[in-house]
Amino acid sequence: MREVYLVGAAQSAFGSFPDESYRSLFAAAFERALDSVDGDVDRTSIDEAYVGSLGVGGRQLGLSGPAVTEHVGLDGTSCTRIENACAASGSAFRQGVLAVRAGAADLALAGGVEVMTDTSGERTREWLGVSGETEWERMAGTTFAGVYAHMADAHMAEHGTTREHLSSVAVKNHANGANNPDAHLQFETTLDDAMDAATVADPLNLFDCCPTSDGASVALLASRETAEELTDDPIRVTGSGQASSRVGLFQRPSLTSIPATGDAADQAYDEAGVGPEDVDFAEVHDCFSIAELVACEDLGFCDAGEAGEYVLSGATEPDGERPVNLSGGLKSKGHPIGATGTGQIAEVYKQLRGEAGERQVDGLHRGLTHNVGGSGGAVAVHVFEEGWA
Amino acid sequence: MGAYLSVPSWVRNLDSRYRFVLGECTECGGYTFPPEGACVECNAVGTLEPVEPAGTGEVVAQTVIESGAPPEFAALLDAQGAIGVVLVELDEGARVPGMLTDCDPREVARGDRVESVVRRIYEQEGIVRYGAKFRPEP
Repeated sequence: MREVYLVGAAQSAFGSFPDESYRSLFAAAFERALDSVDGDVDRTSIDEAYVGSLGVGGRQLGLSGPAVTEHVGLDGTSCTRIENACAASGSAFRQGVLAVRAGAADLALAGGVEVMTDTSGERTREWLGVSGETEWERMAGTTFAGVYAHMADAHMAEHGTTREHLSSVAVKNHANGANNPDAHLQFETTLDDAMDAATVADPLNLFDCCPTSDGASVALLASRETAEELTDDPIRVTGSGQASSRVGLFQRPSLTSIPATGDAADQAYDEAGVGPEDVDFAEVHDCFSIAELVACEDLGFCDAGEAGEYVLSGATEPDGERPVNLSGGLKSKGHPIGATGTGQIAEVYKQLRGEAGERQVDGLHRGLTHNVGGSGGAVAVHVFEEGWA
Repeated sequence: MGAYLSVPSWVRNLDSRYRFVLGECTECGGYTFPPEGACVECNAVGTLEPVEPAGTGEVVAQTVIESGAPPEFAALLDAQGAIGVVLVELDEGARVPGMLTDCDPREVARGDRVESVVRRIYEQEGIVRYGAKFRPEP
């Protein structure tokens, strides 16, 4: 199997940008990604492109991949749009890994884009539910927050998880995101404010929920030979895992765990030859506060049922044993659905290269990204490490 | 745009819409809802035999939606102020999602007993869709 290197990665700013289009946001992320490479990349040398997007709003549902790559001068380059709900660009990245490993590409682009804030409230609510199980779950009247609320309700009952545990995730991620100039919600919050916010889907309140955002992100993957031409400071993709599971939460055996996370993580850890104890930091999929707790458990950072106390202990803070969501996570950085997965990878790239500015944590050598689609219908996990193999 | 359930796709599942008809797996004995596709317990395919459940069970997860309802339920949320949604472990074994009715949804909690009852679900393109909801067992 050929080695794969991450030679560049960046995101556009995430937020609400009525003056931007899905194409201009993608172009912003793409140009930043090219700039993030140590050497000069000839854009026409990109062999394969994979672009994640759910297509919120329906602006360009068909051919949304080529529609953005043509916009940045890649006319003619093979491009495929990847749809895996919120795991779209984590899944696009995996396709890039597979293409480089297979020898089909020496330089591959994986990215994502979404525009979510320019539609009416009604249309936004219509689209937010499309990644749940549509025929039965949605028709029971639940929402996306409602499905995660069921997980939170069960987690609280089975494991004693508390309101404070949930809100601690929001407090931490907002503190991190306040140091991220590309984050959507660059403000801190107090535990009291997070605990007392308006209910969205009980027990989840506004501060348990990530925002809907506009944004794009792009990662560039290379074979060893190509990476050697581009950098002396390589980041290697040491593990790639992806798994799927039943789209409806009601059809899964556990309400307090996402099995596809465990399955994808097992693959990624196995390939990387490491375990969760070897991961220095992680960007995990915190679309809701409960999702970060469940992720910490399913990724093996702590035992099942103990994530509330684990987060409260400070272990996942920037100065803790394993920082989680230094970027601010989906909660603060924002969640432009198709762009989130490679956006996480852009943060890992920055942290491992010491280019994360005010939020830089020193001494990080191995990072993990965890990207979930829907309530766990698809999950992509990747492990990254400094240096050549 | 967004989610859309055609009238034929609703009608072909009416037994499960009205009465939560389940599938019992002839391989492992597990129950799957709705009774189609692979068994959720053992992944066997083509092994689900329809079973008529009693329509009673226990709440295993509960939420009360107070904002953000999709358009098909926006009027209901406006009228009621809240929509209770539960996952129910039916007495036969399968887990199903359902909306609460005939009660204050904030009074229903995990562990409570509920029974199904046919109610209006929503209206799409001028056609009213009926199906099962849950209410507390008397």
